[in-house]
Amino acid sequence: MSDQADTTTVQWTDPLEAVEVCYDLGWTDGLPVVPPTSRRVDEFVARAGRPADEVVGQLPERRREITVGKVAANAVMAGCLPEYLPVVLAATEAMLDPVFNLVGPSSSMGGAAILVVVNGPMVREIGINSRNNLFGPGNRANATIGRSIRLILMNACAAIPGLFDRSVIGHPGKYSYCIAEAETETHWEPLHVERGFRRDESTATVFASESPRQVRATGHPQAILYALADAASSLGTSMSTSGSVGDRSAGLRQGQIAVTIAGASSLWKDWTKAQARAYLHSNIRRSIADLKRAGVLPGDPETGDEDQFVYLVPEPEDILLLFAGGEESNMSSVIPSWGPKVGSTAVTKVVR
Amino acid sequence: MTQKQEVTLVNPTTQAIIAPFDGAPRLPSLAGTKLGIIDDSKRNADVLLEELVDLLRTRYEISEVRWHRKPSASRPADPEAIKELAEYCDSVIIAIGD
Repeated sequence: MSDQADTTTVQWTDPLEAVEVCYDLGWTDGLPVVPPTSRRVDEFVARAGRPADEVVGQLPERRREITVGKVAANAVMAGCLPEYLPVVLAATEAMLDPVFNLVGPSSSMGGAAILVVVNGPMVREIGINSRNNLFGPGNRANATIGRSIRLILMNACAAIPGLFDRSVIGHPGKYSYCIAEAETETHWEPLHVERGFRRDESTATVFASESPRQVRATGHPQAILYALADAASSLGTSMSTSGSVGDRSAGLRQGQIAVTIAGASSLWKDWTKAQARAYLHSNIRRSIADLKRAGVLPGDPETGDEDQFVYLVPEPEDILLLFAGGEESNMSSVIPSWGPKVGSTAVTKVVR
Repeated sequence: MTQKQEVTLVNPTTQAIIAPFDGAPRLPSLAGTKLGIIDDSKRNADVLLEELVDLLRTRYEISEVRWHRKPSASRPADPEAIKELAEYCDSVIIAIGD
């Protein structure tokens, strides 16, 4: 049952007015929402099989506690089906893990969105898209699970644009940012298995990140990886800037990165994920000379600086490599982290 | 005329849960006291704070400074570091320099 003390009674004559009531209450992300009637929210909570007042996680810096009922109300508003709720709950639990440090990406000028990557049988059960039009639009599960996370951030975590959310520009993924890995269509190990979960478990991985940068490259795997590494090495990402980290030894912030690779898995038959990651890691870098020209490192370029490089990703394991996207192999993407790894790290939780 | 329908909505928002607390008593004077600094590691936070420490030394005669630099500006300060500063210092300054 929903917590009846935390409800509000409203009146409307028709569905259009119902939508307007939710705007008036200040509960939307700018788009119309499905009104979170107690009947619909109860249906969601019952489907999850968890008490409405069970605490999913806390945001201590904002003195907030987020319950199953709050997550359900926002999932209803986002347009989810009841069977999506366990995925939204897992993603919420992940982003409230202290390692993720939600207060950072949900308030920072950097304008992060929280990418949700779903793995495991649940992807097929509820139909989360992992192929054509990977980042949308067109598929209800992706659109509404991703949107639930934004509504939870705004409504339950107080990440209100202009108040706690200080994004300078942000990006469109802040409306919705949820994908699945096409794990049944590749010989590559799925992300969740790499991160210590069983193949038959379903998981949600959250990653505080910038927008996807589409990378057009084709031919053979190394050419694709080379182009991806080049795009990921650009100046102006969080990873290739400095400041806001206590340890000055690397000179740069460095951070994690997600990479999506589309097409036919057979193209990659001679490559494991580990090999692709190692190649990317060693090629995602920038010369000291460039970093000085861009004011990232102090001083003017000196002799030898053109040939001295700084890696932008701390370890190969910090590359979240995903097989996902359409059936053509010409479009990949790189998704740089919102901040330094020490500021936020990707977290994976089981869908219960 | 269309009939108004009464509906109960579940509130999707949360309120801050703030435990009551008492602030520390004010220091009568800074002379001879130990100062703690939490540098949030934002660019130039150290520059700003070093300047402030100099002023506090010369104008208010603080006796000692203990400095803590956070590993990331975005993360809350380590509770251990806060505890140590609270126990050792008479006052603590935190600041953002961005």
